[in-house]
Amino acid sequence: MNPERFLFRAAGPGDLDAFERIANASEIGITTLPADRAVLATKLARSAQAFASVDDSSGEEIYLFVLEDLEAPGGPRVVGTSGIAASAGFADRFYSYRNEMVVHHSAELDASNRIHTLHLCHDLTGYTLLTSFFIEPAYADTLAPQLLSRARLLFIKEFEDRFSDRIAAESPGLADDTGRCPFWDAVGRRFFDMDYPQVERITGGRSKAFIAELMPHSPIYVPLLGEAAQWAIGQLHPVGELPFSILIDEGFDTETYVDIFDGGPTVEARVAMLKSVQRSRTADAVADVVADSAPATGPWHVVAGTRRAGFTAVLRRAAAGASTVALDSATASRLPGTVRMAELGAGAA
Amino acid sequence: MITTLTATNDPGEWRLGAAPHEGAAPLATLTLRSAIGLRQPRVWYHVGCTVHAARELNLFHRQRTLLLGHDHTGASELAEIDWVRAEVPLATQATALHALVRAALAHIATRRGDYADRLIVELPGLRDSAGQSPFWAGLGRHFYAGDPRDAAALHGPGWRTLVAALLPRQPIYASFLPEAAQAAIGQVHPQALVLREVLEDFGLRYSNHVNVEDAGPLLDARIDDLPGAGR
Repeated sequence: MNPERFLFRAAGPGDLDAFERIANASEIGITTLPADRAVLATKLARSAQAFASVDDSSGEEIYLFVLEDLEAPGGPRVVGTSGIAASAGFADRFYSYRNEMVVHHSAELDASNRIHTLHLCHDLTGYTLLTSFFIEPAYADTLAPQLLSRARLLFIKEFEDRFSDRIAAESPGLADDTGRCPFWDAVGRRFFDMDYPQVERITGGRSKAFIAELMPHSPIYVPLLGEAAQWAIGQLHPVGELPFSILIDEGFDTETYVDIFDGGPTVEARVAMLKSVQRSRTADAVADVVADSAPATGPWHVVAGTRRAGFTAVLRRAAAGASTVALDSATASRLPGTVRMAELGAGAA
Repeated sequence: MITTLTATNDPGEWRLGAAPHEGAAPLATLTLRSAIGLRQPRVWYHVGCTVHAARELNLFHRQRTLLLGHDHTGASELAEIDWVRAEVPLATQATALHALVRAALAHIATRRGDYADRLIVELPGLRDSAGQSPFWAGLGRHFYAGDPRDAAALHGPGWRTLVAALLPRQPIYASFLPEAAQAAIGQVHPQALVLREVLEDFGLRYSNHVNVEDAGPLLDARIDDLPGAGR
């Protein structure tokens, strides 16, 4: 598939049907996109407000994006979603387990043990959070997921005063087809006597902090957990592999935090250290009649607009380091004036 | 029963014995210590309780916690209590233990100022027929791979202090332990039930502390509340 057919853009109320379809299609559920039309409509309204707002950021904003395939059979179609929450745990707390090692030592017994412990923490509260990633499986091997994930980083860089300088993303942890989750069974279940999906249903729309407060607040000594649960710590559900690999390529750290419920890895980074942010530069978009006919050369770039309302990004070839980018007239009308662009690089191939 | 009392080489430590008659081998012996844990720290787990409750979820969970500490430092102790069980009727075991404890309390009364406010006794915990403690298998083993009996043979009873350096310092939720380990917390070895009954007759009670190896209970009392020992 020619990557130029993909359009990344701010979601709007008109995308409700597409969001509902995707929330239902997602294999294990996307926690931030429940398959509930009313909830999705509310989220889309909040997102539209965040894109349009002229006020300073409060941290409460969520931004939802869609990826359209402009050349899909039957006409343009939404084939993926992604999102950003401006501030994790806004107005509450964002809970994680932090991996820590303690070394217990006894000279007299000639023993030294490195013990893995999990500490309940609020370290990531206030971080900007990447959310809601979904791409239709048919597009997994194209550059579409690269655009869908990385264009968010250009958005954050362009409007950095609306975001934290630190960023995190959750990934689904190990679970079987029925939703049974070895980490939950060994940890959360001891305090709830219920399956995790059941807990999510009961707590409804409440924040996870509500459940977290019922969990033990002293560190968990990992050697006391069963083997299956120990193995699940920091392990990814297979459906999370693609978005996870993109974040790893961007330079996110995977070692420090895991989700308190399913043990999946929660990655984090300084925004300024991320590959797309470091590579990003501004350039002038030039509507070039020649570009309509002659294929451009050079590496693939994410080319993003610099307006918050109706934010848009596409993939185009461009010369490395050029200060202008020639766009065909249709694209140039979507990305008028200054653009922010970043080379995809080898990791995205 | 007649009882004997001898000072040991350690100051503030006495050996007591109870025998059926003059010249007979003692049926029960113990060591009386005036103050423990002041030179070599002594460790126990405190068995606490944490409640996790959420009315909206109709959730109320009582959790037992174990926290390593030196809570009884400075207390007086009846230690190394041993008695003949083979071919001795249970009633006779109880009589010997009773005489032994009474003699210890009487001795405390004669030197009340040498002793602390509280008296403690450690009771042996549950073991299987091979001498293995289910509590150790569920908890301690994960933090010290060696065999506790080898360590005890090498370092004496003080090995528990040494192993404490390897044990978790933060509270442990008992529910993270296997069933058998949870069930052993505060349980007395069946052979020592007679000792527990005798001590409870004198007014000693479980203090919500257990030993770190087999989770056998610690009984304690205010010395001034004990018959024959107070001021």
